[in-house]
Amino acid sequence: MTDPGQPAAGQHFRYIGTHRRTREDPRFVMGRGRYAADVHLPGMKHVALVASPYPSARIVSIDARSALALPGVVAVLTGEELAQHTDFLYVGVDAPGVKRYPLAVDVVRYAGEWVAAVVADSRALAEDAAELVDVVYESLPFVIDPEVAVRADAPSVHAAHPSNVLYRRKFVWGEVDKSFAQAAHQLECRVRWGRSSTVPIETFAVLAQWSAGTEILDIWASIQMPKYPDQTARALRLPGNAVRVHFDVDVGGSYGVKRGIKHTVLAGYLARKLGVPVRLIEDRLENMRGGDMQGPDRIFDVALAFDDRGVVQAMRIRALDDVGAYAGRSPLQLGKPVGAICGPYRIRHVEYEPCSVMTNKTPQEAVRGFGQAPTNYAIETAMDRMARQLGIDRIEVRRRNLIGRDEFPYLIPSGTHYDSGDYEAVLDKALAQAGHEELVRRRDAARAQGRLAGIGIATCLEPSGGNSSFEVLFNPKNETTTWMEASLVRVDLSGSITAVMNTSSSGQGHETLVSTVVGEVLEREPSSIRVIHADSLNALPSNSPVGSRMAIMLGGAAAGAARRIRASLMAIAAHNLELPLEALEYVGGEVRVTGDPDRSMSWDQLVEIAHRKFHRMPAGLEPGLQASFVWEVPTGGGLPTPDGRIQMYPCHSFETHVVYLEIDRDTGKPQIHRYVCGHDCGVMISPDIVHGMTFGGIAHGIGAALYEKFAFSEEGQLLAGTFMDYLIPSAHEVPSMSIVDHCTPSPLTTFGQKGSGEAGYLGGPAAIASAINDALAPLSESIDELPMTHEALWLRSRPGRGPSAAGHPVPR
Amino acid sequence: MKPAPFEYLRADTLDDACKFLATHGAEAKLIAGGQSLVPMLAMRLLRPAWLIDIGEIAALARVVIDPDAITIGACARQHVLAAHDGLAAALPVLGQALAWVGHEQTRNRGTLGGSLVHADPSAELPLVAVMLDARLALQSTARGTRVLSAREFFTGPMSTLMEPDECLVEVRFERWSAPCVGSAFDEVAIRHGDFALASACAQVAIDAAGRCERVALALGGVAGAPLDCSVQAASLVGSVPDDGAVDALAQAVAGGLEPPGDLHASAEYRRSLAQTLCARVLRAACARARGALTEAR
Repeated sequence: MTDPGQPAAGQHFRYIGTHRRTREDPRFVMGRGRYAADVHLPGMKHVALVASPYPSARIVSIDARSALALPGVVAVLTGEELAQHTDFLYVGVDAPGVKRYPLAVDVVRYAGEWVAAVVADSRALAEDAAELVDVVYESLPFVIDPEVAVRADAPSVHAAHPSNVLYRRKFVWGEVDKSFAQAAHQLECRVRWGRSSTVPIETFAVLAQWSAGTEILDIWASIQMPKYPDQTARALRLPGNAVRVHFDVDVGGSYGVKRGIKHTVLAGYLARKLGVPVRLIEDRLENMRGGDMQGPDRIFDVALAFDDRGVVQAMRIRALDDVGAYAGRSPLQLGKPVGAICGPYRIRHVEYEPCSVMTNKTPQEAVRGFGQAPTNYAIETAMDRMARQLGIDRIEVRRRNLIGRDEFPYLIPSGTHYDSGDYEAVLDKALAQAGHEELVRRRDAARAQGRLAGIGIATCLEPSGGNSSFEVLFNPKNETTTWMEASLVRVDLSGSITAVMNTSSSGQGHETLVSTVVGEVLEREPSSIRVIHADSLNALPSNSPVGSRMAIMLGGAAAGAARRIRASLMAIAAHNLELPLEALEYVGGEVRVTGDPDRSMSWDQLVEIAHRKFHRMPAGLEPGLQASFVWEVPTGGGLPTPDGRIQMYPCHSFETHVVYLEIDRDTGKPQIHRYVCGHDCGVMISPDIVHGMTFGGIAHGIGAALYEKFAFSEEGQLLAGTFMDYLIPSAHEVPSMSIVDHCTPSPLTTFGQKGSGEAGYLGGPAAIASAINDALAPLSESIDELPMTHEALWLRSRPGRGPSAAGHPVPR
Repeated sequence: MKPAPFEYLRADTLDDACKFLATHGAEAKLIAGGQSLVPMLAMRLLRPAWLIDIGEIAALARVVIDPDAITIGACARQHVLAAHDGLAAALPVLGQALAWVGHEQTRNRGTLGGSLVHADPSAELPLVAVMLDARLALQSTARGTRVLSAREFFTGPMSTLMEPDECLVEVRFERWSAPCVGSAFDEVAIRHGDFALASACAQVAIDAAGRCERVALALGGVAGAPLDCSVQAASLVGSVPDDGAVDALAQAVAGGLEPPGDLHASAEYRRSLAQTLCARVLRAACARARGALTEAR
């Protein structure tokens, strides 16, 4: 048997790519989902948190007597106690001095950090008691500005770490200095990506129950995180098989941020200590301030070297990322862009200097794209600048640099092969769909009337099939190269098919994905196939839905398991028909003799033999009808070269955005009038899910570009801690959008699919910024910082009022 | 985000509510729609010991349209007012403002009186009340009924002349007698439904020759309370309000402002927005008044 994960040549699909009802959405629409907060256990207690008001302080004392005296209060836990009985949480880079526990120990490092946990009969009571916990602090020096934090004399966020820099390295791939020295032109620009995130409706929720009888800690949580059961067990000093995570709860949104390891360790410890089920559901204030869910916060310095025609010869990117007060996986968000560091462009020499720095702010967590969207924004801004500097059209400049359709697989300087693509075809389709020439006329007519109108363009990549190779790249002590995914498919006595996945879903439509690919392989109706989520003790290996990987990895795993079932059915038929496999064909779940349609064995007959009639089974075949398949990320498994080249993600989806907007010059208010996204993620298993992801990704990108920011005061206080100040675009702000599909199959995946979980978000902010700066160009103004606020737009929209040319160099 | 403990009481009549306020007023809050109050309770920014629900007192939800005035009960729901045909004709500025108040979902619950007594400096309904110098009828057991002018009622952010033992009963808006009246409301918020960075509303009456007979103008979001600018706007009276006059007035009004600055808008930005909006609402109100004039002919 060939490798079940490998693509089959010349595939024609029965269910893949068709418009079908999703498996899971009806229960969400009808309010029949089951979330972590829907799980109620008898005797369950509730946690509320005491948070630090200071960005940096020593905890002098914690007096919980008044809180404990309140009727209904069960316990008050401090960091001191918790740290004695648990191990510190995982750090993604080699920084042993940066220790984190769920509750602050001795010092607090950001305003909002959890200092104590109150357990009570109800959440309201716990909140009443939390107000009575008397914490005495002694304020300490703090640092908020990342550019100050990198300095040697800056206040130290972690005294046990040599500096505030968590990770810094200069990668040089190719002859960068020489290319810059020889280039006819160069430019430098600085852009800033504001601290935003994905903000799901559901905050983080966890319920933990310790069974003294079985000595198992049961966990129900709104989780999306690799190795969550393992990290929970380690921190709680339990063997891995003493933690059972129930992945069958629905997760109310994530796109990266549902990484509540600190919440889980806290609830798990309390449940075990108190002998009662303990539930912690963040409220919105806890979530946004202390939930460690804020995204990348970056300053980019980009330099391009290029010729007269706008062909880029070399690029330098310096990225300073403010990860806040602690490091989980956040520094690694600077690592993933290594796998697409030159974007979709043929740039042969690249220097990349990522620097991850700590400040006294809420810690950073993974957000959709894992650092790629900010990097795409930086690259695209530089491309626009180059076009402007040379006086060449921005689209033409891109055409001159896009990797050609006949150049794949394409090896980029940092060591990753791009699998496939046809970037120009997608660009052309998007421009046609947008009516680009008409948009140009419309813009120019608006300008002639004195209005501010702009067209934005962005051509960006979405690396997918996550293998987390940035872990080994950024941490020499880490040799994790295995990023497998698995599935088990079972056909029961009745002939019904059940497929098992091994992690939770947070809205990605995995049940539709798995049922479609299993139905495709077994040629059975997908809506009849049940997909369940194993708990972690029953589960096969999974690395969870991160890195836009599940269509590729879970889809491939489920298809591989189904192919094994199909092979078993064929073997049973061959044995019973006494014919060689070559004489048989599999059609719609039955096996027929080729050329003799009257001789066949039905699905029911084959299933019955497998389950009941061992005497009719071929020798060596397992009875029953189940198969599992575990597979590694295609192209994965490698360690980096000494100069830091590595194969990052295997697949590369591509998107082109075309945006037309106008700015009200009197108020600074932007309005998007036309939005088109050309998108190629290979074979779409469910086009409706892909489009839904893309629409949402664009809306998310509009938020990052124009509205959303976790702003902090100079005193280290979060200013945007509620939805009154953290502004997520609503239906009023998100325009109608149009998506145009293109399909370049990946040669690496089971059906030619690529990832799409980050679609729309990876190019949206760059395109909107491009449109804004095009609108401001007649005024010789630009904005180099996201979000581009109304006030910033107003400031630059008024002749003689804007900070002319501030923040970007005068073209040479 | 759970409120601090409180006791809940539903008042069936206005008298019941007032009686309860007489004894517990200092530690009680009235609740009707709850669209501002409940989030404040959840964030423990307010900790009343008692919540007195007046939302179901039918007598407080009346809308009465008389030839010279419109009287609206404090507990009339915003969505009812927005969909009220009689009000659309008699008091169009109210509907123009309501389109900016929160969202459809919040307007289903929110009330006119709730918005007024909450007294958010950037709220739309207080701005309309100040612009038209509405009369607010307050009732208490101790002092009976007293009527205050909206222009004196609002004293600062979330602050009014209402005493803790008082309940807002109804609001009376004067109907201008001139035949050709136009009004307009406009605001800039970062997202639709957000608190306005600045807002403006105006009402203009013109005579048969197109000359301004009467004008009212107010600005929101630029001071601690809605700002009545009608005295300055009176400069338009007696002549045809052309663009030059409107722009000069807007500039003069904005020049005197000292708006607050915050995360989303500096003082300078707010001042500029106020000037822009001031000119826009005056122009739009004049255009509507001229439209009425044309129709009358």
